[in-house]
Amino acid sequence: MTETREDIYGEVSAIIQEVTGMQAADVSPKKSIVDDLDIDSLSMVEIGVAVEDKFAVEITDAEMPKIVTVEDLIDHIEQAMAARD
Amino acid sequence: MNGILTGKRLLITGVLTPSSIAFHVARLALENGAEVVLTAFPRVSLVERLVRRLPGPAPVVGLDVTDPEQLGNLADRVGEHFGELDGVLHSIAYAPPAALGGNFTTTTWPDVATTLRTSTYSLHSLSIALLPLLRKPGSSIVGLDFDSSVSWSEYDWMGVAKSGLESCARYLAYYLGPQGIRVNLVAAGPIRTMAASEFTKEPGDDFYATWQAKAPLGWEADADPVARACVALFSDWFPATTGEILHVDGGAHAVG
Ligand SMILES: NC(=O)c1ccc[n+]([C@@H]2O[C@H](COP(=O)([O-])OP(=O)(O)OC[C@H]3O[C@@H](n4cnc5c(N)ncnc54)[C@H](O)[C@@H]3O)[C@@H](O)[C@H]2O)c1
Repeated sequence: MTETREDIYGEVSAIIQEVTGMQAADVSPKKSIVDDLDIDSLSMVEIGVAVEDKFAVEITDAEMPKIVTVEDLIDHIEQAMAARD
Repeated sequence: MNGILTGKRLLITGVLTPSSIAFHVARLALENGAEVVLTAFPRVSLVERLVRRLPGPAPVVGLDVTDPEQLGNLADRVGEHFGELDGVLHSIAYAPPAALGGNFTTTTWPDVATTLRTSTYSLHSLSIALLPLLRKPGSSIVGLDFDSSVSWSEYDWMGVAKSGLESCARYLAYYLGPQGIRVNLVAAGPIRTMAASEFTKEPGDDFYATWQAKAPLGWEADADPVARACVALFSDWFPATTGEILHVDGGAHAVG
């Protein structure tokens, strides 16, 4: 499975929109998920769960706080997928 | 599926994240043959996602245990799935930040009231709301406790709420016993969940390490042994036990 970074971004953006009801135009890679997108901690948990299920990767409780921007989340997914495959 | 809960129908509250103690109880109950309904608060969509990780199906109903209207129609909403219940898991606690984390001496009544209403009175209100569905005799109500016989750093009003919960469980055991309904608590050692992170600002490594060192059996902060105790209490293997507090803490409560 070779998913490009753009593919992952598209899917992460779709998950964020689905969980938060936000518009696609409001989501961008450099934005901080909690501060800029104003996503509460439970939405963040839900985004994490959806990402784990979608990409079959794990985000541990220790890793979660280190994910600040949308880009961080994509980096994490890429690394976790690379480690897995 | 065969197991010690075959044929049992349970209502499980308290699933919020994959770490929730209730999530582990739901998993183990399904693995052991039970059918389960989950309640969700505040995000039904999150709990529905978590259900897909369980080893079997589980309908989800929304429940804010402090909302009289939602409690009022709970039996009807659960009744759409199960005509009768053999067990209820109470795995609910909440305290506003002002009521814990070292704020004990300055906490005001509204915050204390929220803590007690959500974490203590809810055992009563949930049990009574579901009474029409509970099988009589033979059903089992199980709640999650944290040892309240001593004070703990930062646990504050949640500790007071747990003392109340212990007493509430004994009174429910007294009043529901004649109908053959058992009410017991499982007092767990510390586990890293959303609820625990609210009162230990630093993920509380010292607290976990101290517990691990003190407990004769050691303590891995694993929810599975806690879930096993809950499943055992839902089974037919504790038929004469009620008003009890079963410690699942590596034995830490028993040593000085
Ligand atoms: N984690 C620990 O160290 C530990 C130790 C001993 C006992 N407990 C107890 O276990 C139980 C479950 O906590 P957890 O550690 O799994 O954390 P958790 O954060 O996963 O669960 C707490 C639950 O309380 C529910 N809740 C809060 N307010 C509610 C309301 N108004 N209506 C309905 N539900 C509400 C939340 O939805 C959540 O599912 C709590 O009673 C807690 O005190 C936890």
